Amino acid sequence: MVLINLTGIQPTGFTLLADDVQPKEGENVAVSVERLLAEDSAFFDTAGGVGAVITTGTPYADLDAIAGKLAFAVIEFPAFGDGRGFSLAVRLRKDFGFKGEIRATGPVIPDQALFLLRAGFDTVDVTSERKTAFEAALSRFPGFYQSDFGGQTSIAHARHTVGHTIGHSGEGHRKAS
Amino acid sequence: MYAYDTYDHAMVNARVAEFRDQVDRRMKGELTEEEFRPLRLMNGLYLQLHAYMLRVAIPYGTLSAGQMRKLAHVARKYDKGYGHFTTRQNIQYNWPKLSETPDILQELSDVEMHAIQTSGNCIRNVTTDQFAGAAADEVADPRPYAELIRQWSTFHPEFSFLPRKFKIAITGAAEDRAAVKWHDIGLVLKQNEAGEVGFEVLAGGGMGRTPVIAKSMREFLPISDMLSYLEAMLRVYNEQGRRDNKYKARIKILVDAMGIDEYRRQVDAEWEKIRHVPIDVPEEEVARIKAFFAPPPLPVLADAATEVDELENANFVFKAWLANNTGAHKVPGHAHVTISLKPHGGIPGDATDEQMDLVADLADAYSQSEIRVSHEQNLILPHVAKSDLPALWSKLDEAGLGTPNAGLLTDIIACPGLDYCSLANTRSIPIAQTITERFDDIKRLMDIGPLKIKISGCINSCGHHHAGHIGILGVDRRGEENYQLLLGGSGAEDASKAAILGPGFNEAGIVDAVEKVVAVYLGEREDDETFLSAYRRLGPDVFKEAVYGTD
Amino acid sequence: MAKKITGPQLILANRLDDGRAVFLTATGTWSNAAADAAVADNEAELDTLMTVAQAADLANFVVSVTPVAADTSNGVTAPAHIKFAMQARGPSVRADLGYQVSPNWEQ
Ligand code: SF4
Repeated sequence: MVLINLTGIQPTGFTLLADDVQPKEGENVAVSVERLLAEDSAFFDTAGGVGAVITTGTPYADLDAIAGKLAFAVIEFPAFGDGRGFSLAVRLRKDFGFKGEIRATGPVIPDQALFLLRAGFDTVDVTSERKTAFEAALSRFPGFYQSDFGGQTSIAHARHTVGHTIGHSGEGHRKAS
Repeated sequence: MYAYDTYDHAMVNARVAEFRDQVDRRMKGELTEEEFRPLRLMNGLYLQLHAYMLRVAIPYGTLSAGQMRKLAHVARKYDKGYGHFTTRQNIQYNWPKLSETPDILQELSDVEMHAIQTSGNCIRNVTTDQFAGAAADEVADPRPYAELIRQWSTFHPEFSFLPRKFKIAITGAAEDRAAVKWHDIGLVLKQNEAGEVGFEVLAGGGMGRTPVIAKSMREFLPISDMLSYLEAMLRVYNEQGRRDNKYKARIKILVDAMGIDEYRRQVDAEWEKIRHVPIDVPEEEVARIKAFFAPPPLPVLADAATEVDELENANFVFKAWLANNTGAHKVPGHAHVTISLKPHGGIPGDATDEQMDLVADLADAYSQSEIRVSHEQNLILPHVAKSDLPALWSKLDEAGLGTPNAGLLTDIIACPGLDYCSLANTRSIPIAQTITERFDDIKRLMDIGPLKIKISGCINSCGHHHAGHIGILGVDRRGEENYQLLLGGSGAEDASKAAILGPGFNEAGIVDAVEKVVAVYLGEREDDETFLSAYRRLGPDVFKEAVYGTD
Repeated sequence: MAKKITGPQLILANRLDDGRAVFLTATGTWSNAAADAAVADNEAELDTLMTVAQAADLANFVVSVTPVAADTSNGVTAPAHIKFAMQARGPSVRADLGYQVSPNWEQ
């Protein structure tokens, strides 16, 4: 696996923690949503950054409870066509103003690279043979009709802004902070 | 109509380049079929029984003469000289080669056309009233809003991988010619008491295995809230629509399961969060788009034209065409004209390259270079001066395009069926051909009056049989083609689901059954009652008796 | 192993480039005519044919390789089910344009 960096963020190094394993002091860990909800302050005091592995079936209501505790998020796609992953990322950014890293894992396809970036993802974990195609896909389109979380304003706005050109600046949601 | 600027062009060209690369990788074997299939589908390219099929979008059914000429050119150069206009106001080519598809898409891009959103689980191309911007009974032209929705939904970062395909229809007239109640979302432009224009919003309609008529979400939604409200509707659906069973994945099933009130509650809650965040489109952009749809500069003319009266008195066929295929225009002295693609014995919705070229020429000469495609698979010239009607008709008639049957029994919707479609159980086209040959008498057809027959070759319902006054559905009965007869459906503002009358028939039997049903109607009707109202008054029993006998 | 079969089978596919329905012959080539199709009468024969067909799939010559029931009752091999028979015959409409015009359409 290789990590495709969509936004130029400093990717989080972390350990994926099995449910019965405790974090080491100061260690960045990713745990299931259930565990994140169940853990007490001692857990958060011990660990460094805590992230959640969010499956696409995670109800939005659960995000309410975890968003404030997250340092980063991993959204797991069971299939490339499971578009709930995009909505989950949009919601983290839009409803909770989440600024940390959002990573996609699972069988997403290179042709989704810009969709991921625009929905608010920073990084994607892909099999190494897909790396080239993923990177090529990132520069495929000059612009889109929607303003997005990759830092691009919509064509609709660009049309009415003097001297405005479109293109991804790469760090939209963080730049805005 | 809408014209691309450099942004629109750049986007569509980028898409063509991307697809060219994907096709190239597939031909070289760098992509497997499994990997390539979703990619080609996202570009409207299906593999059917005999060949690939390319579905090209005609956004909200509006075409320029130049675009129509390009469609003719593609049919001639890359296909077998014809195309098929569909119930979703698109055109399908039945014989393109995979390796030539990128060239076809590039040629289409040159005239501002594409195959984006014609397949896949995304928001499909928005459909509307074929007489939009021309019909006298219109509250407002729906096309600027359809174009806004087109742009908003194109490559949407969040709604391009929905549980299932998603169809939005929009109409600006009280008479619903766009079957909005049969769509995932239907929008009806309305005026409120204060005189402001907005939408009635409907949700959860659809055909297929489980036909459902859309329910009302909101009586009145201000226009400025359109996109934020759609976004809220789609987000709730994207999260909660079923993904475990593709037959239960459409929004109609979700709305049915949670109830329209609960769906509305959740959408409203979502909408509250986002409605005050400006969504994407500044007011100048709405104005820019609207300007493209400004009414054409038609002069107000006298409503009567002597040329028309003379030919009407001399030629019965012209008289019938005038009555059936032309309708009231906003501007006095003009009409909108329906060019029937339903010649008796012909293939519903098919047009040859020559016919397409001719329609383009006639649009230049008589209709401000504008053409429309209807969901009933006909072509429309929206802005014709009445005094031009005789000349127009005779040119159409010479080319086999003058059939005066719009809205009559032989104006049949039929899906491609087993002649082309890999999902089909039965053929549809030959049934339509036999029925139209059986009823090949314009006087008899006019006596029967408005009657919509709709034929699907399988339960996917591309032929809208659920909404047919008479619907015909092809089923597989132990490897044999079998046809079910349904009665009493409607796709109009009085939408209703057609009901199965009884056991199915073979190819000859279904045509006889249709004839018997029509005979019952003629015998039982009161005054100028239409077939549909007679059926609603009489109920199915008399029809059942006539078709199946008593016992 | 191929699945259990109840009667003779032939192998149908679509050519990758033009999508044309083609039938696997006894010599391992693909023909536009169902009459040329090799017929497997038992599972072992079907296995052999499928191996050849899948190689053509892997070589990106055909896609959608499908074994289907064959009807040999008239002395001419054809797919038994109406749907696959349609693939052999071409559309029943526009006979002026379909395969009927030339069985070797764009061979
Ligand atoms: S209704 Fe069925 S047979 Fe007809 S075009 Fe649709 S999928 Fe094919």
